[in-house]
Formats: sequence, structure tokens, C-alpha cells
Amino acid sequence: MREPLVRSDARVIAGVCSGLARHLGISAAACRLGMTALALAGGAGVLLYVWLWLLVPTADEYARSRAGGPQAPAVRALRRAPGPPAGTRQPMLRPGTREIATGAALLVAAAAVVLQMAGADVPWGTWLPLLAIAGGAGIAWMQLDEARRTDLRDRAGAAGVQGVVRLVAGLVLVVVGIFTAISGTGSVEQLWQALLASLAVLAGVLLVLAPWVLKYWRDLEAERSGRIREQERAEIAAHLHDSVLQTLALIQNRAGSEQDVTRLARAQERQLRQWLYRDARSEHGNLVDRIREAAAVVEDAYGHPVEVVAVGDTAVTERHEALVQATREAVQNAAKHAGSPVSVYVEVTGTRSEVFIRDRGPGFELQDVPADRLGVRESLVGRMERHGGSARIRNTGNGTEVQLSLDHVEEGNG
Amino acid sequence: MMTEPTSIPVTMPIDIVVVDDHAIFRSGLKADLDARMRVVGEAATVEEAIRVIHEHTPPVVLLDVHLPGGRGGGGAEVVAGCADLQGITRFLALSVSDSAEDVVSVIRAGARGYVTKTVSGAEISDAVVRVAGGDAAFSPRLAGFVLDAFGTAAVAAADEELDKLSARELEVMRLIARGYSYKEVARELFISIKTVETHVSAVLRKLQLSSRHELTRWAVDRRIL
Repeated sequence: MREPLVRSDARVIAGVCSGLARHLGISAAACRLGMTALALAGGAGVLLYVWLWLLVPTADEYARSRAGGPQAPAVRALRRAPGPPAGTRQPMLRPGTREIATGAALLVAAAAVVLQMAGADVPWGTWLPLLAIAGGAGIAWMQLDEARRTDLRDRAGAAGVQGVVRLVAGLVLVVVGIFTAISGTGSVEQLWQALLASLAVLAGVLLVLAPWVLKYWRDLEAERSGRIREQERAEIAAHLHDSVLQTLALIQNRAGSEQDVTRLARAQERQLRQWLYRDARSEHGNLVDRIREAAAVVEDAYGHPVEVVAVGDTAVTERHEALVQATREAVQNAAKHAGSPVSVYVEVTGTRSEVFIRDRGPGFELQDVPADRLGVRESLVGRMERHGGSARIRNTGNGTEVQLSLDHVEEGNG
Repeated sequence: MMTEPTSIPVTMPIDIVVVDDHAIFRSGLKADLDARMRVVGEAATVEEAIRVIHEHTPPVVLLDVHLPGGRGGGGAEVVAGCADLQGITRFLALSVSDSAEDVVSVIRAGARGYVTKTVSGAEISDAVVRVAGGDAAFSPRLAGFVLDAFGTAAVAAADEELDKLSARELEVMRLIARGYSYKEVARELFISIKTVETHVSAVLRKLQLSSRHELTRWAVDRRIL
């Protein structure tokens, strides 16, 4: 099987000859000799060499394009520079771009030569500098293949933003120095011309440097987003460890007690939910949050699930505070005396807040409660009435339901 | 879509398929369900669910809202993928999720009810029987979502108005949200259980068909949060 045509690492100039030799199965020396001979024959060898240099990938690039890239797709996408470098990177996959560009350039050059031979006046003086600039920029962009970039960066001893800053600072210093020197000696006209020339040079330098700046910028972005992801992951891991894993361990230890297991599981579930949906919750007002908190406390204390369903929400005023307190009292009564799951329904509309607390216990009637037992009468009915609300307790035939309602007053931040 | 008074004979167990990606939960659920039903198939992903459901065409599918596979649509995608079985197979959504959009999306896709995974096996069994009979199974939380979505004050002039609930439907939803069972709702409102079921089915239909822009906006808002 024939070796792939790639530029070799064992190189004198660009590894073209030794790569070609390996591909053709001849010795590198013979290949170089042939190339030199061709070069002497009217420069054909030089042209061929340059042409191969441009079009033949290095061994690294070839391997990468064949393997489809060993890096993760995201990393590859980040590393992929726009324009010519992409063609340099994966020439075997996308053979079009660079060949077409080279071909077009050669065709234009050939056309120009033919035109001149035919007697037309080709303004070489204008075109050659432009070609030189385009060529220089092209070479700079092509330099972006990985080996050379690392090479250059190492040699410059620069990495990341610092390198760029140092580079720019150097350039500025040089330009300022030249200006100072010129303005000390020359006329205003000369100064003007020098300024123009300097700007042109600067623009050229910028053109050449653009790929590096872009590359550094991307590296920086990638690094930053990677760090953010890492932080998020660490936060999640820490939370899961602190709460969920600890609770699971506790549950294993207490597997004998059904009530303990339920209580732990409920508490953990609540905590996890709050953590997962905390942002969504904080968007609303906070009456519902307060009632959920109160329900959670009771749930923890008595081990009976307290299910809170809420429609609407509002900010907590002093009067709502009374509503929260009364709700806490009612939920506690239900959990303590009924010994069953408790349902809490909160409905907040523009004009009133209502809370229903329902259990499925044996039930009681308000008139049956002895007058000296102030708990229910005082903490529910009295508290609500003092704040302009009302409390109603009734036996549904299958448990007790407490209804607390509070009308929003005109100025009462409804 | 509406309630047909098809009573399921007690002697015939209802065939059901359980779709959930957690094997532990599936086996726990199977153990919890009572004798009125029989699990004939299980599935863990969207594709598997659609295949197994077409294989068995069960009257009821217990469907987790969150499922891997498919195009990422979860339970709603399974319901959509079984659209050809409409009228034969009914879906009861199961979820641990607290978020309204998860539940409402699977209901809007065509599920006949929603229960949380934390309720007892007996309650899930009741809901299965109810769904098998063509009725809707509402949990307090789903009733809460409905009231949140349609508003507690919107009253339809006619029962056919899709964008609003009628006064009676609002009352029923409120009682369910307060933790009342269908039977307790019936006693509270002095109506028959059948009437309660009719109201609940009507609400379900409105939730599924309403294109009211407040509802869409409400859902979109929830999704953004």
C-alpha cells in the first residue's frame, strides 16, 4: 500500500521532498536532487515546491482529519478558525477552498503575463505590492496550524492576553519612537507622509495579527465557560452530598421505623424541590412560601404528610402574617389530633386570600370545645377576627375542615 | 371524549402497561396496585413505550411524564405517538414533578389524568379504574394548576365555552384542590358522583382543547421560569 502524501517531520525546508519521497517510494536524497535540478530548469522546481508546500498537509493534520478529530466536537468547533485555516486543518476532508484560491491566483497571474506579452500595459507597480500584502496575510493565516502556533508562542514566551498586550505595547512604543525621531528633524509634510506610512504598516500588522488575537480570545472564552461549568457541577455535587446522600444514609440506619423513614424522605424531598425550583418560587410573592414553610415545620414534627396546593400569591403584610400564624395553628391541630395526611389549599385573588386546611380525622365541633380550652377559639377565630378576617371550622362528615379568609382592604397591598 | 357509562365488570382485571424509566419504581408500583388490574407490559423509553403499547393495546397506560429517548418529548411524545389508539387506550400521567408545565403538557397531549408518585397504591388503583371507565382522574395539585391557568373568577356563559370554566366546574375544581375525593365533592354539592365525573371530564376537555391565549401565555411563562 502506498504511503499517504504528507509533509514529513524529517525536513530541510518544509518536509515536502522527504514526504514526496516516502509517498513515491524513492530515497529523499534522490527527490531533493531532482527538485534542485528542476529548480535550475527555469525555476520550475521552485514553483512545484511552493505548490506542494501549500497543498500537502503535515502528518499531524492528515492524521487528525482522518480520525475525524480525537477531541470532543465542541473543542474542535472552538478551535476551528474562520477562513483559510480551516482548509489548512482538514485538507483531505475539504479539498476545495485552498485549491480553488491557489488556482484562481495562478490564473490571474498567467493572464497578466499573457496580457503583457500581447502588448498591454499591466500596472505592475500597483499590483505587486497588493499581491505581496495578500500573500503575506495568507501566509500568516496559514501559520495557524497547531505545531507552528505552539512553536511561535513558546519562542515569544507569551501566552494568552499578556502576550497580546506586550505585543501591542511594543508596537505602540516603536511607532511613537519613530514619530518622535521624525518630528524632531523633518517638515510637517514629511511628518504627514510618515504618519500615513505608519498607519499603513500598522494596518498590515493588524491584518497579520488578527488570527492570533482571535485565537487567544477564543481560548479565553472556552476556558471561562469551562470554569463556570465546573463550578456549577461542584455546587450540585456538594448539595447532593450534604443533603441527599446524608438522608439516604440515615434512612438505611432507621429502616426499621416506617414513620422515621417517611419523615426523612418527605423532608428531603421538600428540601430538594425547594433547591431545584427556588428561582421559580421567588418570582412570585411570598405568602405561599410562608405557608409552605409552616406546613413543612408541622410535617417534620408530626410525621404526617402536609400537601399544599396554591393558586395565586401575594406579598405578606401584617394582616397576612396573622393568616400565616392561623394556618400554622390549624395545620398543627390537624396533624396532632387527626393523625392523617393534611391538605392545605391556598387561594389568593385580587380581593381576598383564603386558606382551607382539611384532615380526615374523627373531627370536632367548635361548640363541643370546652370554653376553658382557648387554643382553637383564640388562636384561630380570635386571631382572624382581630385582623378583619374570619375563621370557620366545620365537620365534613369525614374529617374537619378549617376555612380562613382575609379580605384585602383598599390600601392593603393586595 | 365525553363520559360513556361503561362500567367495568369487577371480575375482569384491567390490563395496564406501566411506562417509567426507573425499574425500582415500576416494580414497587406493580406490588402496590390492587387486584382490579393486571400489568401486562412495561417500558422504560419513549420508543419502547410506543412499541409495547401497540403490542398490547391496553385500556390504561400508567405513564411517567419524564422519559428518556425519542425526541426528548417524554410522556407527551408517547401519547402523541399512540394517537392511532384513541378511544382504545387511555393514559394516566404519573409524576414526581412539581412543575405545572410538565403536567399540563402531557394532559394537553391527551392524558386523562394526573397523579403524583407519592400517593398510595390504593389511590393510584382508583385513578386507573376511573380512567378505564372513561373518566378523568384529577389530583388536588392538577386541580390547582387548572385554577391557576383558567383563573378562579372566570365563569363561562355557556358550558361549551372552551376558554372559561362554568361556575359549577370552578366549584368542583376548588373542592378537589382542597383535598376532597369525588364522593365527598358529590356530597358537598348535593349532586351525584356521575355528575362530578361529568364536570371533571368537561374541565379536562377544556384544558386539552382551549386555545385561550391566557392559557398559552401562562404555560409559556411557566416554561421560562
